[in-house]
Amino acid sequence: MVNLLWMHGGACNGNTQSFLNAEEPTVIDLVTDFGINILYHHSLSMEFGEQVRRLYEQILNDEIPLDILVVEGTIIQGPNGTGHYDMLMDRPKKDWIWDFAHKAQYVVAIGDCACWGGIPATKPNPSESIGLQYMKEERGGFLGTQFRSKAGLPVINIPGCPAHPDWVTQILVAIATGRVEDVVLDDLQRPQTFFKTFTQTGCTRVQYFEWKEPVEEFGQGTRKGCLFYEQGCRGPMTHSPCNRILWNRQSSKTRAGMPCIGCTEPQFPFFDLAPGTVFKTQKVLGSIPKEVPQGSDPFSYSVNAALARAVAPKWAKEDMFVP
Amino acid sequence: MKKQGTIVKTNKMEIKVHSLGRVEGDLDVKVAIEDGVVVDAWTEATMFRGFEMILKGKDPQAGLIVTPRICGICGGSHLTKAVYALDTAWGTEVPPNATLIRNIAQAAETIQSIPRWFYALFAIGLTHRNYASSKLYDEVVRRWAPFEGEHYEIGVTVSAKPVEIYAIFGGQWPHSSFMVPGGVVSAPTLSDITRSISILEYYRENWLEKILLGCSAERWLENKTWDDVLAWLDEKPEHRDSDLGLFIRYSMEIGLDKYGAGPGRYLAAGSFFNPQRYRYPTIAGRNAALISRSGIFDGEKFHDFDQARIREDHTHSFYRGSGSYHPFEGLTDPVDPIEGRKEGKYTFAKAPRYDIPGIGETPLEVGPLARQVIAGRPGAEEWQDYDPLFLNMIKEIGPSVMVRVLARLHEAAKYYLRMKEWLKQIDLNEKFYIKPKELPEGRGFGATEAARGALADWIQIKDGKIENYQVITPTAWNIGPRDRHGQRGPIETAMIGVPIKNPEDPVELAHIAQSYDSCLVCTVHAYDAKSHKELAKYEVIKMC
Repeated sequence: MVNLLWMHGGACNGNTQSFLNAEEPTVIDLVTDFGINILYHHSLSMEFGEQVRRLYEQILNDEIPLDILVVEGTIIQGPNGTGHYDMLMDRPKKDWIWDFAHKAQYVVAIGDCACWGGIPATKPNPSESIGLQYMKEERGGFLGTQFRSKAGLPVINIPGCPAHPDWVTQILVAIATGRVEDVVLDDLQRPQTFFKTFTQTGCTRVQYFEWKEPVEEFGQGTRKGCLFYEQGCRGPMTHSPCNRILWNRQSSKTRAGMPCIGCTEPQFPFFDLAPGTVFKTQKVLGSIPKEVPQGSDPFSYSVNAALARAVAPKWAKEDMFVP
Repeated sequence: MKKQGTIVKTNKMEIKVHSLGRVEGDLDVKVAIEDGVVVDAWTEATMFRGFEMILKGKDPQAGLIVTPRICGICGGSHLTKAVYALDTAWGTEVPPNATLIRNIAQAAETIQSIPRWFYALFAIGLTHRNYASSKLYDEVVRRWAPFEGEHYEIGVTVSAKPVEIYAIFGGQWPHSSFMVPGGVVSAPTLSDITRSISILEYYRENWLEKILLGCSAERWLENKTWDDVLAWLDEKPEHRDSDLGLFIRYSMEIGLDKYGAGPGRYLAAGSFFNPQRYRYPTIAGRNAALISRSGIFDGEKFHDFDQARIREDHTHSFYRGSGSYHPFEGLTDPVDPIEGRKEGKYTFAKAPRYDIPGIGETPLEVGPLARQVIAGRPGAEEWQDYDPLFLNMIKEIGPSVMVRVLARLHEAAKYYLRMKEWLKQIDLNEKFYIKPKELPEGRGFGATEAARGALADWIQIKDGKIENYQVITPTAWNIGPRDRHGQRGPIETAMIGVPIKNPEDPVELAHIAQSYDSCLVCTVHAYDAKSHKELAKYEVIKMC
């Protein structure tokens, strides 16, 4: 039996909603079959008011052991570092989270906000939001570079806006069933089993990427083509298993014709949503994509692309995803 | 600090209930109690993230990405109104297929929300030991206890199904931005339609008819009056023993039909467009194109909805000054709650008001009950939703926690049938998108009905970037504070007169708050709890 406490800071609850879509295992299976004892979750628990306060005190007094602390949402530090923009029981929420993090065996950040600050931390960051151990791509965040949970690990980052339920349940189950040594973290503290591959890995449009055939426009235009050239798709530069472990067991953004917006990466939202950057590929010299697949550079990429376009087969111009 | 909930000799006390869990966010409710009854209430939203400030100066389409992240529960609804705000600002043309898909996606999110909210959030409160003496208590626990309840598991699990339809058209749920000005990004295929229909039928067979209704969706929707509902209950054992039947019987036994009425005045912004009648979205043409109509009910009369009559008052909210502005002139300039409290401010929610002709600025309840009351307005076109049941119910038995919850459950049957119809109408060989001209200047208004109620955006674009962006959420309508006239917000009003059995565990207040299902994360603004000193000052309220 492992005790789990789920805290939410500056959150939209999207990760909770995503988590509730989990199927293998379901959230209910987690509790009934995998021995995860949810001490408190703001959307799933019976207790409220004084009962929650008592539970918090028992954790802080070491009367109840805390195995896993899950944090959803940013740490809100505003205004001016006081934390008054997010209070819980007459105390800044950030102080509660700080205390729990230092009691927990494992600390898991779920979703971009908790990992890196996410959308609320977008300039001008009015709530002074920050991630648990990162601020965007910079290590440190709220808990600091040196932070280790009681089991000796840094914060485990499960990013995404939201995170996919399977990414969450599998890590929780690994901890609960003593397989945590199987969880290897990458250099952004993400489980590499999910974040080694690219969003493009398994994308149904990858053949069009190969022959450099763009999507001309949305809607019926997405019956063919790759969204990387015009619509600003970040699939080749983003680490996620979105096209390996499908969303809601059905699809993914890129399969449906929506450009990947890179939401598993710490820089999300990219370019701070500046005018001209939403759903538009950023280019150099008018036609060369400014950002190209990891490990390549715009010049060698464009040489390669010109060749591919020149030898592309006829079908690469045709609709493939037809009614 | 004195322990809260201490009963003082005068029988006048005030308790502050922290974090009424399961209203999906941070809500502190302060109530004044006299002789065991609530005589005054303050709802305090405790979090500020500043989305409207983030949007200023950004790409005009940033709202499609940012506003869904205001609330992960109704993110698809945020996307819907954000796209209509851009459609009206840019003067786009939206092909009928795109309108159908937007309708389907919006409805999919809503029918997901109904079982998820009822089982995971609302019904578990009905298993509270306060009600152990009820004859039906054991059955309620057997079905609705958290994690262990037989229908809890079915309800929570089935809630993930409708959003699979959302994912088919939009890639994923939550947080897709697949609706774009001029249409949608996707172009479905035959199998997408077939699978969507099949998922809908799964929802109907495994939950809607088998568990919730105990009859067909069509049969339930034949009920036009409260008397019809009572007759339906007695018609068959399947009706009485369905979750809906059990909920009605149990509510009447434990008194959920007796409190939580709220203001009795309602607003619906309306939702779902007739695909032929909103090809060129404009603010002026919106009402006439809605399938689920917009409107105001002032307790006696109906009025047409006009976005120009909406104001946001922030006299008691943690924002600088104390004005009341139309959202196009809206301001979001937060202050430190410590400072704000000195001026009598107590929440991060603003107080949305509607200027009803002849009545003035009025707090209005939004949500499923509001929608279903407006659905009873006479004069609907044959393609619009006309449904007199809830207008009859509030006239016959008055609004209450029970009636509000019934309105929400009722919509599952309605939207299931609508979605099937819309899926049939999609023409796979026609357009799903018409590329718009991105205008550097413009004003737009987009609105829809999230599961929890009216949701709207006002956008102003200048020099190709966002000049001002204001969002009014259903939670703000319901959970907002007093305004400069001293009028309480809807939930504050709904708390008044409630008998509290145990001030240490005021489950009654939780039922009310949860019947509104406000996701406080769904207000763009929220609050800071009182410092201990001020709390002490308020610990005993003098009621004269």
